[in-house]
Amino acid sequence: MALKEWKETTRDRLFLLLAFLLPALWLVVFGYGLNLDVEDIPFAVLDRDHSELSRDYLQRFIQSRYFSFQGYADEERALDRLLTDTKIRAAIIVPERFQEQLVAGEPVAVQTLLDGTFPLHTDIAKGYVIAINQAFTEDRLIDFLRRSRGLTQEHAGVLVRPLSVEVRYLYNEEVRSTWSMVPALVMFTLMLASPLLTALGVVREKETGSIYNIYSSTVSRAEFLTGKLLPYIVISLVNVVVLWLMAVGLFQVPFKGNFLLFFSASVLFVFCTTGIGLLISLLVQTQMAALIITMIVAMIPTILFSGLLVPIASLTRGAKVQAHLYPAMYYTNIVRGSFLKGVGADVLWFDLLALGMFAAAISGVTYRLFTKRPKA
Amino acid sequence: MTARRQATTWGRRLAALTWKELLQLTRDLPLLLFLLYSFSLSVLVSGAGITMQLTNAELLVHDADHSPSSRELIHRFQPPYFAFAGEIRDPREGLRHLDAGRAMLLLEIPPRFHEALMSGERTAVQLLVDTTNAPQGLSAAAYTVRIAGLFGAERGLASAGLSGATASLPMVTSAHRVWFNPTQDERWFQSIAHVLRMTTIFAVLLPAAALVREKERGTVEQLLVSPLSPFQIMFAKVLAMSGVILLALSLALYGVLHPVFHVPMKGSTGLFFLLTALHVFTTAGFGLVAATLAKNQAQVGMMTLFVVGPMLLLSGITSPYESMPTWVQAIMTFSPLRYYIDITYGVMLKGAGFPVLWKSVGAMLLLGGTLFGFGMWRFRRQFQ
Repeated sequence: MALKEWKETTRDRLFLLLAFLLPALWLVVFGYGLNLDVEDIPFAVLDRDHSELSRDYLQRFIQSRYFSFQGYADEERALDRLLTDTKIRAAIIVPERFQEQLVAGEPVAVQTLLDGTFPLHTDIAKGYVIAINQAFTEDRLIDFLRRSRGLTQEHAGVLVRPLSVEVRYLYNEEVRSTWSMVPALVMFTLMLASPLLTALGVVREKETGSIYNIYSSTVSRAEFLTGKLLPYIVISLVNVVVLWLMAVGLFQVPFKGNFLLFFSASVLFVFCTTGIGLLISLLVQTQMAALIITMIVAMIPTILFSGLLVPIASLTRGAKVQAHLYPAMYYTNIVRGSFLKGVGADVLWFDLLALGMFAAAISGVTYRLFTKRPKA
Repeated sequence: MTARRQATTWGRRLAALTWKELLQLTRDLPLLLFLLYSFSLSVLVSGAGITMQLTNAELLVHDADHSPSSRELIHRFQPPYFAFAGEIRDPREGLRHLDAGRAMLLLEIPPRFHEALMSGERTAVQLLVDTTNAPQGLSAAAYTVRIAGLFGAERGLASAGLSGATASLPMVTSAHRVWFNPTQDERWFQSIAHVLRMTTIFAVLLPAAALVREKERGTVEQLLVSPLSPFQIMFAKVLAMSGVILLALSLALYGVLHPVFHVPMKGSTGLFFLLTALHVFTTAGFGLVAATLAKNQAQVGMMTLFVVGPMLLLSGITSPYESMPTWVQAIMTFSPLRYYIDITYGVMLKGAGFPVLWKSVGAMLLLGGTLFGFGMWRFRRQFQ
């Protein structure tokens, strides 16, 4: 049975090529291309003061790598237009008497207009603005204390900035986006490509009618289903190894954990993903339905609820429940744990167990659902 | 007269074929149910459930000082950004929590923290950050630096007798005005994003699968020897599927986005639907090209996945488009979703009209036309 399925798959050379090429190519594209850091925010400036200090202040934004300077505006209405047109995402308006007030020791409010369509980016941009304002304020305060109180630079510095934060980044010491993305992308590509491999297996036979040959043959249910799964599990496992090699070799992501643990988790996970495809294949009547349902079932929860982009902790309850009902989250924990944290089974046992349960449950349900004597 | 009659027959044939596609689709119950789910319940869950802003970052504290100052500092780590995950006695215990993923941050406050602040000395707190998710880790660190900076400045100036007299200090404060989504309700963004994702997936897959199905079964030869032109055959599929998708989209719009999340429609609804139709056509072009290259539905599935994956992740709803590497931006000029994102958020939230959007619209037209043309050419050539 497996041999027949294998032959059928290998005969379709284009499909086979894609089955191997897709995960590898995706890892390259997303690994290099998917940048989650918010940088180069396009912004424009309206300087109503035109003083030395306002220029000094604005220079800090222009030089920041987080902002990308798009030019000066003459009036507020021009900024409105640029924002609506999405030419800029932020605008800074320096008020009149900016320098005068600061030199006199008075506070000044600088107005920023932010594009709120992407709240995450808005929030981050706001953070950058506040950070730059804070740094500028500190310099002004130090200058002010020196002039008004005759303090030394050193002493004024301590007063203004007595508390500092020493940040130590764990697991990904240089905070590289690729390091945190690539392991999760291994999960992502497996989760997306594997179910699609199996999704059409049964339904194709249903559509062409050849499933009746199976119904009337001596092939048992388990034999049939294993036969449908096995070749694709093999393909997916080869992909696991290829992806692992690429992550370690090409992207130089450290692998601190236990390879055996990682691999067995991958086997379980591949069982789940190919099983999901097969399950869908059993439930629907047409290949078209199988294709679309599989793609959405595989893609949407994986992008949203797997921990790939959004940490599980920041999901609301409903979404958290959905995340736990799906194997991707557990595998993400294992992959990130094995690559970056180097933790072993003592920490990851629960995720491993969950994957095992998923694999068992999916195969159980599939087995129950597939009867050789369909009602209709 | 004959020209007009020809045109009507042409139209009628197209209509008949479109109707056939619709009938075929309505017979596929699981698919229909799933379509309904994707544009209703699924939008509801992901719209309400996801926040990409830093939320609930679990913070552990090791307070070696236990003083008014240390307590006050800890108190400043507030929800929704931070979630206090408890105090620990031993820093090593904290590391174990970080290893197990039970906490994201560990703040260590040194002994004599209060004393140092009161006497105007320099002091430092240490923050350990789990950066397996790099952007979130960086974001949490930035918040912490901001909180500590403000707290320190207040204390330092107070120790110099300058507290409460902020009015006489040269400080630059930020007055933010957020446009288009003043309360920064992330549900607006997420629910729209989800609808965009669903529309795109269905727009690629439905017509592609429908076309390749005919090829696989050999019924496409029958269609070709009939008086139908290849254009009619392809166009009928796209027309039928676009109709279905637009219907599903209105369900999402009037069933979920408006009543539940109160997403505004600042621009013209008509314009939005018109441009959605354009997006569906253009995206369907990708599917049709794939369908002409593929021999069976398995291949078409793989090929479309190949296109849809990068489209969804790199067009600008999952990651900031402006900070993408240039080569990604270059590739993404071929993604209709990239333009459709600007159009949708532009029309719905910004109230943008055609004068603002004409560039995106032009790009989509060009892209859609090219894809359709190429698909047609391939389709014709295959059967001659």
